[in-house]
This record gives sequence, C-alpha cells and structure tokens, in this order.
Amino acid sequence: MRYRVILGVVLAGLLGSAHAEDSIEALANTCNNCHGVNGVSAGQSMPSIGGLPEAYLKNVMLEWKTGARYSATMGRLIKGYSDEQIAALAAFFSKKPWTPSAQTTDPKLVALGKKVSARCASCHGETGASSDGETPSLNGQWALYMELELKKYRDDAVAMPNKQMRKAAQKLSEEEVNAAAAFYASQKK
Amino acid sequence: MSQINRREFLKLVATASSAAVLTIPGTARAGAKGKVVVIGGGFGGATAAKYLRMMGGASVDVTLIEPNKTYTSCPLSNEVISGHREIKSLQVGYDGLKKHGVNVLHDTVTKVDPVKKTVTTQGGKTLAYDALVMSPGVEFNYAGVEGDSEELSNTVIPHAYKAGPQTLLLKKQLESMPDGGKFIIAVPPGPFRCPPGPYERASQVADYLTKKGKTKSKVILLDANDSFSKKGLFEQAWKNMFGYQAGGMLEWVPGASDGKVIKVDAKTMTAYTNFGEHKGDVLNIIPPHTAGKIAKDAGLTNAKGWCEVVPMTMESTVHKDIYPIGDACVAGEMPVYPMPKSAHMAMTQAKVAVGAILAKMNGQAAPVPFYVNTCYSTINPEYGFSVVHVYRVTDNKFVYVTDAGGVSPVTLGTKEAPQPVPPIQRKLEAEYCVGWFNNVMADAFA
Repeated sequence: MRYRVILGVVLAGLLGSAHAEDSIEALANTCNNCHGVNGVSAGQSMPSIGGLPEAYLKNVMLEWKTGARYSATMGRLIKGYSDEQIAALAAFFSKKPWTPSAQTTDPKLVALGKKVSARCASCHGETGASSDGETPSLNGQWALYMELELKKYRDDAVAMPNKQMRKAAQKLSEEEVNAAAAFYASQKK
Repeated sequence: MSQINRREFLKLVATASSAAVLTIPGTARAGAKGKVVVIGGGFGGATAAKYLRMMGGASVDVTLIEPNKTYTSCPLSNEVISGHREIKSLQVGYDGLKKHGVNVLHDTVTKVDPVKKTVTTQGGKTLAYDALVMSPGVEFNYAGVEGDSEELSNTVIPHAYKAGPQTLLLKKQLESMPDGGKFIIAVPPGPFRCPPGPYERASQVADYLTKKGKTKSKVILLDANDSFSKKGLFEQAWKNMFGYQAGGMLEWVPGASDGKVIKVDAKTMTAYTNFGEHKGDVLNIIPPHTAGKIAKDAGLTNAKGWCEVVPMTMESTVHKDIYPIGDACVAGEMPVYPMPKSAHMAMTQAKVAVGAILAKMNGQAAPVPFYVNTCYSTINPEYGFSVVHVYRVTDNKFVYVTDAGGVSPVTLGTKEAPQPVPPIQRKLEAEYCVGWFNNVMADAFA
C-alpha cells in the first residue's frame, strides 16, 4: 500500500512535469546548431532534415553510430546518443514539414541535371519529392550538400552502404554530379 | 487490493520514466510567466533570448542588453585576416531577435543586485528580473603581459581576439609585412576562448604568406602552454604545408621551451619570454583573459576569474536565478575535459539554461540537459578538421562521454601501419565549417 501511494506520487510527478516532452525537444535543440530550427538548414553544406522520412533518418544515424556509413563529423557526435534517443530524434524531425530552400542555380546546369537525374527518379521521384517512406526528399535540398554526398558515394576510399547509390554515383562525371545537385536544388515542390 | 512490492514498484517507475521520456506530451510550458534579462548579445546571449521566446511563448518577457548594434562573429574571423572572407559576412544585427519579441536594449549593465534581483544600466535604467542570463564573454587582462595595454592593442599590437577593428588591423599588418618578416602570435595560459584559435590563425597566416610567395617569412607561436587543441591535426598539416619542425615557415615554441611571453615592448616590437627576446614585424599578443567584468562585479567568479555553474541547469553556484553561460564559465572535468569556450558550446549551454528557467517558472524540475560541442578549424578553404564533445550530467557532475567525441582522424589503419585519411575528409570538414557558421548565425540571431 505504501509503495502504491509513492508510485502514484512519482507517476504524477513524471506525467505532469515538462520534463517528459522537453527531453526530446531539448535533445533536438542540440541539432538546431547545425541543421536549423525544425531541421531547416541555413548552411549550404549542411542538409535540411525536417520532414525527411523517419526510417531514413534513423537508419543513417544508426549506421554512423556503428561505422557502417562514413561521415566526416556526425559519427563522433551520434556515438554520444542512445539508440532510443536516435529513434526519438528521427521521429521528431520526420514530423516537421519538409521545407525546400530557395537558392540560385545555373539554368544550363539544371537542364543537364534534368537529363542526368532521370536514373534517380524511380526512387527519389521526378522532382525529388519522394514518397516511399524511406528515401530522402531532394527537392530544394542544398545543392552543395548533395554534391558533397554524391562525391562520398563516388569515392572508393570511404564506406557508403547503399550499393545502388554507389553504382549510380560512380557513373556520373564531376559535371554531372553538380548538374544533378543543381537540378534537385532548383525544385520547389 | 493487491500490494505492490518494492521490486514491482521500481520496475513500474522505470517503465514510467522511459515511456515519459519518449512519448508523454507536456503542456505545462504554456503558462510560463516571468521576466528574464539577458546580459550580452553574442552567440550565447542571443540564443538564450531567442529560445526563451520560442519555447516559452509570449508570456515570458525577455530583455537583451548589449551595447553594440552589430555583432561580429569571432568564429571564422581568422579567415578575414588571411583574406578568404570579408568581415561583413561575420556581422549581424538584432532585428531577428526583435521579431521573436525580444526587447533589445543597446546599453551597458553597470550593476547587478542578486538580492533585489535587478540590473542597472549606464543609461540609467533599472530592470527587475526573475531570471538573469549572464553571457558577457571575456575581459582581457592586459596586465598579464607587462607593457601591453588596451590602447596598444587597438593601435600597434592587436590581439584580434574579439572580432572587429582589431581583426582588420591585424589583416593590414600581415598584408604589409615584407617577405622575410616575422609574424609572432603570443598564446596566453589556458583557459582561453576558442582553444584552437591561435593555431588556426598561425595556419591561415602561413597559408596566406605561402600563396603570396612570401616564403622567407616566419610565423612563430610563442605559447604559455605545453599542448593545444587538435595538436596532431595541426602538426600534420603544418609538416605537409609549412615545413614545420624542418626549419620551415611555421614554428611552435611551447611553454616548457620558454614560450611564454611575459613582457612586450611595442616601440621596438619585441616580445620577451623569461629568458629570450623575439623581435617581430607583427606582434599578435593575446592577453590572458577571465569572465567579463560584469560577472566579476556581480560576485559570480571564482578565484581564477571564471563563473562556476550547476551542471543540471547552468545556474550559478554563487547566486540563485543567475545563469552564466558561454566563454565566461568554466565547467567539466578540469583539467582534462573542460567545456571549451566556443560559440557552439555557448549555444548549447544557453539552451540548457532556457529549459531550466522555463521549468522553474512553471514550478517544475529542470529537463535533462544536453551539452554538445562541435568546433571546426581550417588551414584554408580546402582543408579543415574538427573536434566534437558530448557531455552528460551524472551525479550533478559534467561527464565527458568518451564513447563519442574526439578529433577528426589524423591517420586511419593501425598505429603500426597507418593509412592516410582520404582527402575528401579534409575537404568535407572545410565545407562543413562554413555550413556550421551559417547555421549557428541563423540559430542564434535569426
């Protein structure tokens, strides 16, 4: 009986406090430094993450944590987060709206990118607005970030786990990489 | 009615806790009411002011007090010295904070009364607070180097360790240095703001001189300390690019080898160590520093001149309801894993303080704090690296999470058979440095 009363008090304390939800929000706030409030990045080399599929976000973070996926910086950060925290962050950011970033792109490069990216459409969608729940949206993602990612997929020296992406990226010339990035960056919907 | 035994009780509590962390929505924040004053409009103070409004809603009255109308970022200001960046790109005003409903007062705080809970300004205003965020940055102790003074630092021997006119002065001095000239950087004893700053600056300066063909010049770091942040990464780059430890352009003199500058003569442009003297064409003397003056005047500092804080909340260990954040504090497992004085760290500290302040206003326990640091350094726009820190709070102590964090790899492979790091690593981190900068500027000021 005694424990029951205490339990009631403890539970009431836990449920009624701001502690609960704030933990995720407080955790997510640490991501804002580099990925922006609601996951909308203001830096061209850093991806926007708000509104990306939950499964994709979670998978990438877990792959960084185990080292299955190469990263220059993120792996060292994400090792400080538990799998539960990673899952909570993925859920948190996936529920934010996807916000394409306005950016200047070279129309010639965009035109070439439209052709080059035909091979990407089956997974990423024609304009990069993917809807399969696992593939990241690319429409209005930062061009520079996408260039750098494609170069990681092309580079044999670093471990990138998605075979399909590696194969596709390795078929692209330097100019085609930049073109594909410019094309998706220019898509607003 | 069944009795619950102790074991079941603990199990239930544990289940409730983990469930709460991940799923239970909180609603209590909406009612937060109170007045918060923020002293200082740098990365820490601006973030605190913005997040108080963003997370606390309209009922939290926030006033940020900052003398300057424009803020100039210290991060990336070494790139202004080397000519890779215009100082304008580092500058931001306070309109973004005003849009969040922050009252911005361009004034200087002259007095904090922690008992009456008021601050008084030079302009004659007195503001009452429920919580005070103290983010004044650092104060330079010119007396720490005999012969140095604020006036000399503004005119002849700049520290350029607060970005602004001195950054441009140092840039001009570098540009007019003749080939064969000597650029001396005096590093103060730690802790100082931006731990890798002096070494990044030496790199940027050496890169500038190399690319200008002024290859007979020297860049000399006279250091009060025996080691430094990202040492292995800097030394690798220096060996590959600037003939480090091989009679080349860049030299580092540690404290143990008489590197500590104790005196300077601006007339003869000479820096004196205990046993030696170094004549330079440019003397970049960085004086030792402590927490900003107002933190000291408010009685918040320890014997070494820094503010100590409660890890769960960032509240001062001296005065209740005052939250010192940013370069003015010391925290962490000293001397091994202290929290670095970086913009990124100041911002995560600000977010922790905001969480604690809002919870307290609602009569609730402070949320679990998360402290993270990411700090990039660049040699040039193609070559960068970083250090990451993740901290947890355990038993009311800051604990550096050793599973995470650390510096970018110097080499891959094994110790016996090291492999070079793929070049894309340095390129990516140079690009991330710029992306990081644009994002922290937006997260703090927009």
